[in-house]
Amino acid sequence: MFNDIIVRNFSNPTHAAELVQSTNTIELGNPVCGDRIKVQLNIQDGLILQAAYAAWGCATSLATGNVFCQKIQGTSVADVCNLSKEEIDKMLGDLEPAQHHCLEMLHNLFAKLQQTFHA
Amino acid sequence: MQQLSITQSLRNMGIDPLKASVASVSELYRLPQDKLDAIKAELIIDSFRFHYENNRYYREACDEKGITPASVNTFDDLIKIPLIPIAKFKSASNHELLSKPLNAIEHEMRSTGTSGIPSVSRRCAPTIDLAVSAIYAMYREFLGISKGAGLYICPSTEEIPEMGMIKALNMLAGLLDTHRFMVREERFVPEDAIAQLTNWENQFTRHIIGPPFLIHRLLQFLKQTGQKLTLDKGSMVITLGGWKRFTGQMISRREFALLCEEYLGIPPSGIRDIYALVESNVMAIDDEHQVKHVSPYVHFSVRDMNDLSKEVADGEHGVLAILDPLALATPGMILTEDIVSLVPGESPSGRSGQRMEYIMRAPSSLEFGCCAVNLERKMDEDEKAENSCPVTA
Repeated sequence: MFNDIIVRNFSNPTHAAELVQSTNTIELGNPVCGDRIKVQLNIQDGLILQAAYAAWGCATSLATGNVFCQKIQGTSVADVCNLSKEEIDKMLGDLEPAQHHCLEMLHNLFAKLQQTFHA
Repeated sequence: MQQLSITQSLRNMGIDPLKASVASVSELYRLPQDKLDAIKAELIIDSFRFHYENNRYYREACDEKGITPASVNTFDDLIKIPLIPIAKFKSASNHELLSKPLNAIEHEMRSTGTSGIPSVSRRCAPTIDLAVSAIYAMYREFLGISKGAGLYICPSTEEIPEMGMIKALNMLAGLLDTHRFMVREERFVPEDAIAQLTNWENQFTRHIIGPPFLIHRLLQFLKQTGQKLTLDKGSMVITLGGWKRFTGQMISRREFALLCEEYLGIPPSGIRDIYALVESNVMAIDDEHQVKHVSPYVHFSVRDMNDLSKEVADGEHGVLAILDPLALATPGMILTEDIVSLVPGESPSGRSGQRMEYIMRAPSSLEFGCCAVNLERKMDEDEKAENSCPVTA
């Protein structure tokens, strides 16, 4: 049911934490199933120094939070904004149909980060 | 020579004691209480040992309390088993609850209450095997259904596939000849439900299935429009999902029963309410006297609200702790947020085992209700939006 990326990120959530100091927060949720991901960021001079998350919901959504944070931490916001749809599509690996809403959540996280940066 | 335990004897014959138990619901209910308690204790103690050995989070919690498998040997020791607060299933750290690796998990089920945060319970293939057999055995024991039509006054599993309440009710459809879900895109049209019941007349024994608040809507509609239906001999109203509305108002079971009798022609003995929790594999289903029987292999321990380490006497209200030996992927030792009481005395149905009465959600709970309450709130919001005046200025 769960591919290796999901197992690894769910079982060893390296970015599941709360930042004491953050510059930005991204939050999204699905009102029907209740899945929710909250990401805290510490961005300085366009560089994402720290990214941490808390997630509530299925194992894939919890793993999604970690995958997102792992990808963006240490990267410039500009580089994150340049990620293609195809690159993001591959980040969670092969998903079962019931897990596809998490890919949508991942895309929404990147979109929200872009909105935050360009606001 | 030391006598082998029942579970050990079964294992020696190559039979899984848990599978044997879930397949023997009727037989277990007919055992003398002390024999049933002995079997239940063996299953739960085995389960406690498994989770202690395989779950670091749980083992650390047990060690902190000074409880190890060596501390729990008899039925009377079950009260010592450390409990996991049900809120842990909602927490962002609920991955700690797994006693097996994630790739052993076959199914995730959830219940989203009024807080909006889902409680997610994960089951491995062996737990699913047990839960499926257990649910069907309980349905057969208390509902005795093998044919007929089910008017489901709830959304379909297609609309909310992971919702535990709907999943459990949908399994009942497998015992019926036909069924139809009457809530689509969070809308329920009572006229359509009545038309469907009429369409099935003289073809099938008609059952009505769903959360109380939605069936109550149908009953209110029948009352307000002065329509009286007479369903069939053997028709049942089967409810699951709690009796509290999202407004906080309780649906009176007595009024509900009177309405069912007057407007559907179903006597109180045909109304069967189910208590279940997504985090556990237990079911408590009403018998013909409207008394809920707990799955015979699960133990309900009702705790003193002021001192959770103590049990209250049968008949007294307390916080429900569940010891569920069927949960193999996560510990089934759960402290719920439900206030219940155990029914004292013997059951007029002749069954042994525990019987319970649900009282209310604990006042301290952050959850006001289960997914049924959440569904009702959403339906109400949608209806208000539809019926609101379009003039905005």
